[in-house]
Amino acid sequence: MKKPGNFTGLFCLSYSTRYGVVMLIRKNRFPSISATEITPREVFLNRRKFMQGGLAAAAGLSAMKASALVRPADASVNVTGPEWLERMVVNAKESPFGRGEKAAPYSAATQYNNFYEFGMRKTDPYENASEFKASPWVVTIEGECENTGSFALEDLIRGIDLEERTYRLRCVEAWSMVIPWVGFGLSELIKRCKPLSSAKYVEFVTVERPEEMPGQRSVFSTIDWPYREGLRMDEAMNPLTIMAVGMYGDVLPNQNGAPLRLVVPWKYGFKSIKSVVKLRFRETMPATTWNELAPQEYGFYANVNPEVDHPRWSQASERRLPNSLFSPNRIKTEMFNGYGEQVAHMYKNMDLRKWY
Amino acid sequence: MVLNLTIRRWVIGLLCLFPLIYMVQAMVRVQLGEWDLLGPEPGKTLTHFSGTWAFNFLLGALAVTPVVRLGRQKWLMPHRRMLGLYAFFYVTLHGVAYLWFLLGWRWQDLAEEVVERPYLLIGTLGWLLLVPLAITSTKGWQRSLGRRWKALHRLSYIVVVLASVHYLLQIRAGWFEPVAYTVLTVILLSLRTKKSF
Repeated sequence: MKKPGNFTGLFCLSYSTRYGVVMLIRKNRFPSISATEITPREVFLNRRKFMQGGLAAAAGLSAMKASALVRPADASVNVTGPEWLERMVVNAKESPFGRGEKAAPYSAATQYNNFYEFGMRKTDPYENASEFKASPWVVTIEGECENTGSFALEDLIRGIDLEERTYRLRCVEAWSMVIPWVGFGLSELIKRCKPLSSAKYVEFVTVERPEEMPGQRSVFSTIDWPYREGLRMDEAMNPLTIMAVGMYGDVLPNQNGAPLRLVVPWKYGFKSIKSVVKLRFRETMPATTWNELAPQEYGFYANVNPEVDHPRWSQASERRLPNSLFSPNRIKTEMFNGYGEQVAHMYKNMDLRKWY
Repeated sequence: MVLNLTIRRWVIGLLCLFPLIYMVQAMVRVQLGEWDLLGPEPGKTLTHFSGTWAFNFLLGALAVTPVVRLGRQKWLMPHRRMLGLYAFFYVTLHGVAYLWFLLGWRWQDLAEEVVERPYLLIGTLGWLLLVPLAITSTKGWQRSLGRRWKALHRLSYIVVVLASVHYLLQIRAGWFEPVAYTVLTVILLSLRTKKSF
C-alpha cells in the first residue's frame, strides 16, 4: 500500500478553501473552531450517556423525539469503529443543515434499509451485517487524477473536519427518512486526488466480499457485483454532496455502509453508494448498477423528481418513515428532494424527462 | 384419520385463524406503543403479510384435489371448502389492509394508484373472481348449480394465475419468493391438465 505522504501537503489547500465551499450553501459563515474548543472524546461520551439517561427517563412520546439526535443507549446495533474514527466522529461540528428536520429514530434508520449486499429484505442488512469488517479499510483512487493509489481510510481523510448534516433521504421506492449524517464534503476528497481536466465523472465502487456479504453470495440476486455508482464532476463537487463516516453522532453501522459512504440528498437513495472502496475519475459516464439492471426504470442521474414517474409507480408523493398503522404519513415529493436551491442550476438546460 | 370430521374441522379452522390472530395482536401492540415492532412501515408489513397468507391459502385449497388423488389422502377432501373460504377471507383482508394502511381510504388517489401500479388491478380482479366462488361454496348452491358448479369453480385457476402475476410484477431485485409461488402455481395447475379433476 502506498503511503499518502502527498496528502498531508494537500491538507492546507483543502483547509483554506473549506469555508469558501461552505459559504455557497449558507450565508452565515461557520465559526472556525480552535483546538481547545473541541470536545474531548471522554467528555463527549459522558455527555452522550447523560443525554441517554434523560432519554430513558422520559417515557413515551418524548423518547422518539430525543432519539433523533443521539443513538439510544439500548440500541441493539453493534457500532464500533476504530478509535481514530470514533474520535473524529464525536468531534464533528454541528451544522445548520437540516436543523428543524425531525430525524428518524435510530432503530428505523439502522434496521430498515436497502443494502442488497446483505440481502433483499429491508431487515436483512441489520440482521446479516454483523460479520462485516469495516476496519481496516483501504480506498483505491484511480483514473484521470494525479494522486492515484491505494490509501488507508485514516490517511485518506486525515485532517478533514467532520460535520453533522441532517438530510432527507428519498428512496426510489417512494419512502423517505431524515438522517443525521456525519461526514465531509466529497469535494474535499476530490481536491486531494487532484483530478485532471479530463475527469468529467467520478465512479464509485462498493467492496466485494461475498464471504462477509451474504447478498453477494445469493443466487437469487440479479445484481452484477460489485455495486457501482457515479456522479458527474459538478455533482460530485457540489457542497451538498458528502462522504459520510457516521450517523446519529456515532460511526456508521455496517448495515448503513460502514465505514465510508456517499450521500447525495437530491438523488434517489440508490445513488448514495455504501462501503466505498474505489473512486475512479473518468472522462466518460460510468455504467451504474441499477441502470444496467433496468435502464428504463433507473437512470444515471436519478434526481428526485415528482414529475417523472417510475414506470411501475408514482414519484409524486412519498411515505415519510416511520409511519403509523393508520396513517401512511404520505407527503408530497419535492423537486430535487427540496434541495433545488443548491442543485437546480446544474440541470438548467437538461430535459429531466429524458435524463431521469 | 383418527379424529372425526367435526373435530378436524374445528382444529383446521382454528389453525387457519392464526395469521389473523398474529396480525391483530401485532396491531394492538403497535398501537400501544411498540411502534417499531413491525418496522418503520407497519402498515406495509401487515399488507404484505396478509397477501402472503392469502396466496398460501389459495395454493393450499388448490393442492387438496391433487393430494387426495395422488397421495390418497381422502380425509382432506371435506376441508377444501374451508381452505378456499379462508383464501377468500385473507385476500379480502389483504385488500382491506391496502385500503386502510397504504391508501388510507383516500379514494381520490385510487385512480392514480391503479395507473401506476397495474398489479393492483390484477389483484382486484382476482378478488372479484373469488366473490362468486365464496357465495356458491355452500352445499345448496353446489346442488342447484349441478355440473355448472365445477365449471364455475375452475375460476380459481385463473385467480391463482392472477395472484402470481400480481406478485411477479412487484419484483425489484429479489425474485425468489414471487418465482417460488409461481412455480408452485404452475405445478398445481399442470397436474390438472392431464386428468380432468
